[in-house]
Amino acid sequence: MKRIESRINTSSSDFRANKENYLKVVEEFRGKQDKARYDRPRRDMERLDKQNKMFVRDRIKQLLDTGTPFLEFSSLAANEAYAGEVPGAGCVTGIGIVAGREVVINAGDASVKGGAWYPLTTKKTVRALDIAIENRLPVVHLCDSAGGFLPLQADLFADKYFSGRIFRNQCLLSEMNAQQVAVVLGHCTAGGAYVPALSDYSVIVRGTGAIFLAGPPLVKAATGEDVTVDELGGCDMHTSVSGTADYPASSEEEAIAMARDIVAQFRRQSKTVIEWQEPEDPYYDATELYGIIPPDIKQQFDMHEVIARIVDASRFHEYQPNYGKTLICGYAHIWGFKVGILANNGVLFDDSSLKGAHFIELCNQNKTPLIFLQNITGFMVGRDYERAGITKDGAKMIMAVACSKVPKFTIMCHGSFGAGNYGMSGRAFDSRLLFSWPHSQISVMGAEQAANTLADVKIRQLARQGKELTNTEIAEIREPVLAEFKRKQSAYWATSEIWDDGILDPVDTRNALGMGLSAALNAPIADLGYGIFRM
Amino acid sequence: MEDGINSWPFDYVLVANRGEIAVRILKTVKGLGLKGAVVYHAVDAQSVAAQMADVAVEIEGTTPVAAYLDAEQIVAVALSVGAGAIHPGYGFLSENSGFARACVQAGIVFVGPTPEVIDLMGDKVTARAFVSNAGFPVAPSAIEDDDPATFVERARAVGVPLLIKPAAGGGGKGMRVVRDLALLEVEIERARSEGKRYFGDGRLYAERYVENPRHIEVQILGDAHGNVVHLFERECSVQRRFQKIIEETPSPALTPQLRQKICQTAAGIARSAGYQNAGTVEFVYGSGEFYFLEVNTRLQVEHAITEKITGFDLVHEQLRIAAGQPLGYQQSQIKAQGHAIEMRIYAEDPAQGFTPTTGPILKLREPTGDGIRVDSGIAEGLAITANFDPMLAKLIVYGADRNQAMALADKALGDYVLLGSKTNISFLRRVMNHAAFKSGDVHTGFLDANPQIAANPALTKNTLEKLLAAASLATRSMRDEADAVLDIHAAMGAWRN
Amino acid sequence: MYNNAFVLNDEELNVAISRTKNGYLLYIGDDVLPINLHKENDDFSILTVLGKRQAVMLAVHGDDVHIHMGGETYLLKYRNPLDRLAAKSRGAADDFIRAPMPGSIVSLNIAIGEAVSAGQTLLIMESMKMESTILAPRDGVVATVNFEKGQTFDRNAVLLTLEEKA
Repeated sequence: MKRIESRINTSSSDFRANKENYLKVVEEFRGKQDKARYDRPRRDMERLDKQNKMFVRDRIKQLLDTGTPFLEFSSLAANEAYAGEVPGAGCVTGIGIVAGREVVINAGDASVKGGAWYPLTTKKTVRALDIAIENRLPVVHLCDSAGGFLPLQADLFADKYFSGRIFRNQCLLSEMNAQQVAVVLGHCTAGGAYVPALSDYSVIVRGTGAIFLAGPPLVKAATGEDVTVDELGGCDMHTSVSGTADYPASSEEEAIAMARDIVAQFRRQSKTVIEWQEPEDPYYDATELYGIIPPDIKQQFDMHEVIARIVDASRFHEYQPNYGKTLICGYAHIWGFKVGILANNGVLFDDSSLKGAHFIELCNQNKTPLIFLQNITGFMVGRDYERAGITKDGAKMIMAVACSKVPKFTIMCHGSFGAGNYGMSGRAFDSRLLFSWPHSQISVMGAEQAANTLADVKIRQLARQGKELTNTEIAEIREPVLAEFKRKQSAYWATSEIWDDGILDPVDTRNALGMGLSAALNAPIADLGYGIFRM
Repeated sequence: MEDGINSWPFDYVLVANRGEIAVRILKTVKGLGLKGAVVYHAVDAQSVAAQMADVAVEIEGTTPVAAYLDAEQIVAVALSVGAGAIHPGYGFLSENSGFARACVQAGIVFVGPTPEVIDLMGDKVTARAFVSNAGFPVAPSAIEDDDPATFVERARAVGVPLLIKPAAGGGGKGMRVVRDLALLEVEIERARSEGKRYFGDGRLYAERYVENPRHIEVQILGDAHGNVVHLFERECSVQRRFQKIIEETPSPALTPQLRQKICQTAAGIARSAGYQNAGTVEFVYGSGEFYFLEVNTRLQVEHAITEKITGFDLVHEQLRIAAGQPLGYQQSQIKAQGHAIEMRIYAEDPAQGFTPTTGPILKLREPTGDGIRVDSGIAEGLAITANFDPMLAKLIVYGADRNQAMALADKALGDYVLLGSKTNISFLRRVMNHAAFKSGDVHTGFLDANPQIAANPALTKNTLEKLLAAASLATRSMRDEADAVLDIHAAMGAWRN
Repeated sequence: MYNNAFVLNDEELNVAISRTKNGYLLYIGDDVLPINLHKENDDFSILTVLGKRQAVMLAVHGDDVHIHMGGETYLLKYRNPLDRLAAKSRGAADDFIRAPMPGSIVSLNIAIGEAVSAGQTLLIMESMKMESTILAPRDGVVATVNFEKGQTFDRNAVLLTLEEKA
């Protein structure tokens, strides 16, 4: 395996201009992220203080092993929804290290609307638990929620992937021996009551923690019974009478320390063995990625340069280097783990599709996890290509991706347009983790094409009615479509809707993949089986 | 010294003691080709002394200390093992004339003075009267009870500085120091009123007050044939709670003339008393004057420093004298050379008012090297308990001069490792490096006047960091938690996305 | 901020450690220092702090860490987070003294308003022909006594309650 020789000239004007542009992109991203994480109305923070409650970030800090990484998911979820009033979708999720074990953390954020569940809160929570299931990771729930946000109940209660899925996922986790501990730091009412109840272990804080199907007002209304929170579902009642919770704690700090001690009792998964060697930092500096990524989404760049700044020692074994060159395939190591990388270096042609499908099969044959680095405008179109079977070759690649059994990881490095998204393991194809770089864009087609397509449809419609549009009228049709498209194809929209697991500063890609790879090995790799490849 | 003995009148010596002194005595006994027996209470069954003795016999008592104080039982043990002599060490029964008599009556040699001398010197009032009558210096004093009518006049005659104290008193209460005779009567009345208040007794006692007194003592040896010599002085002024913790010889306070005078006085007192065996005459010294304090009729804890500068083995001499041998040397043949310092290693916490500490002896590395001697009764794996006096061992250093000895002491204390229970080792090191000690300018109130020496010194940030680093990594639950983290996460550290 | 602690000279110092690629980090307040400790032999270990090496001798007994370093001996007492945090927030804990099993009161050893200390006998109960003693779980004052001598009760019945000392 030899080192990629970078052709980047870091003193060129292009490099410097790109870098200057990208530093702004990163700054904007970090600004949004900081705001979503820490910017709260003072009233909400004061209420937490008064209730003797810690801010969710401080709770997580106490929970995690000191000096270990935390891979946060979807920090900007719901950022473009609910008028921006539910930052992070009101919860914090991620993979963290507790007592040395990789665990999924699912923490309610009571500084956002009292921790009420919005539709995107449940989506983010379900996704975190899906990640736990796919990777067989234990879960620590830090429960502090006011319950479902009633005005939007129709969007969060009844459907398959709505709030019920949280509890269903908890049950499946327990079934697969991925243990869970719930720390009850606030009220767990109604559905929320099942989070601790369905956890294998639970700790509850005296005074602030409570679990009940209906709180005192609802009980009063339903049965006329007058009862206090403590009597109804407080710490001492549940830990000494009902047995709904296991461990009483006198403070949040103590409860979290107990949870750490409980996680320390979990049996460690024996990890799936894949090829591994001592990790080595990339030869090329990851911050050079800033000077490689062009400001224009339509502008191509050599994905070898990206690979060289993510993989160990920048070393890469390229498969079929001279065939289907618009798709780079090859082996490398990330944090020591052997991976197979598929990276777009142009439009997918029939040959590149076949190469991709073949390489995915190779990686499944030798149990090598897959990394997809997306920069794709789609499969090639046109008569010649259709005649050559571009659609069936594309179908082969999609079939290979969908049925692949090794863990897959996807990074949206630039553009992700059209069916190429599918072939490169887009969201629907169950990558273990999927992250977007902050400038990346995603949509069924490019914004310009979409706007033009829509304008054309309109023009032809009107033409049939004998009307002809002036340029101004065309612009009036085109511009709003373009604007709407641009908004919804941005990484910020995608991440707000939880189409990914969060936005990543490109320099963080290597660590995020390392965390994901290590976590993925907690689950076994199933034996390979495929559907029918159209030949 | 040649002992001139071809056959001892006893071939078995029973050591009626424990700890370091039992070990110390057994070493000489065995070195002489005699057999050594020791008594021990069950809590000392694994002790160094019990392990090294030829015979170790368990004794019982309502408390461990009571066992070592049980004269009858110990004499019975001596008879049962056929010990012809009993060495009492120091403490316990060493100054108990009843025990000495019981030995004699059982036909066993008591290694020490005659019961009569023990009795004479055991009572401080009779000892003082004896010494005074023999013409040796005692502190001038006036006792009100002798003749209340003339008390003020007699007190005035003692001169200043004068200490007036309640006859019934103790603990410093009601004591008045008079430095100006014009104030004598006023102070007497104040002392009387305080005495009444504290003790319900207004009777008084006045004696010459020695400013910043120093404790100086002289080692003497006397045989059964009327020969008495001294082995020079020891200064034991560094004391805490009236107990010596550092002793040295020669005293840095004495001129050669004064040294000769004080040593000859001691020998004279011993001679007058018909003293046999090893003993120590203690003096209080200050402002060029010294006064008799008391006689200790036994081997002193601090005898080793005398051995260092004279080359004598005092236990050997004790046994020879007890065997009836004459000293066999003249005063003029005894030479002192170099400087020796002894530091008593205690299981105690100086920062907590020198309260005794206990614990297992997890690690013990006693210092070694030229000029370093450690008399110790402890060993790794044993435990320090609250059953006995908390003195664990003695560190004795010997150098060509005082500066060399102090430098060696500092190094040896630094090398002295005893882990498992707090000790006074670091404290001793602070005393050793204190300017007043270095210049020899100490007195028996020195430590009380400088309580900061006993306090835990403030730690530098760097030291604190090192201690916390070592402690954290040595604490299994912390280290295990850190080690439980996978390599990849350890290498990533606190990365956040 | 960090929940592990050592008591040194009566002062409690909060610390944490973490492992790195080739050693450890020590966290004290806002400081983070690279450290390591290698046992050379039974007698001593080499401690490294900020790249500086230092020979130390260590002995651990329970929570006591004895260190001989630079000619001085130190004792640091470890305090586990669970112990520390439990001790910090003892209070409302164990207010309700519940019956461990159904039974009857044999004798009441306390009265309302009486101050009790942890471990003190509160009452003796009989159950299944066996007497058992109910002890005070903490220091406090008896707030209520809910049963009289001879009265029977069910499992989990609140026998008496404690409150904070005034």
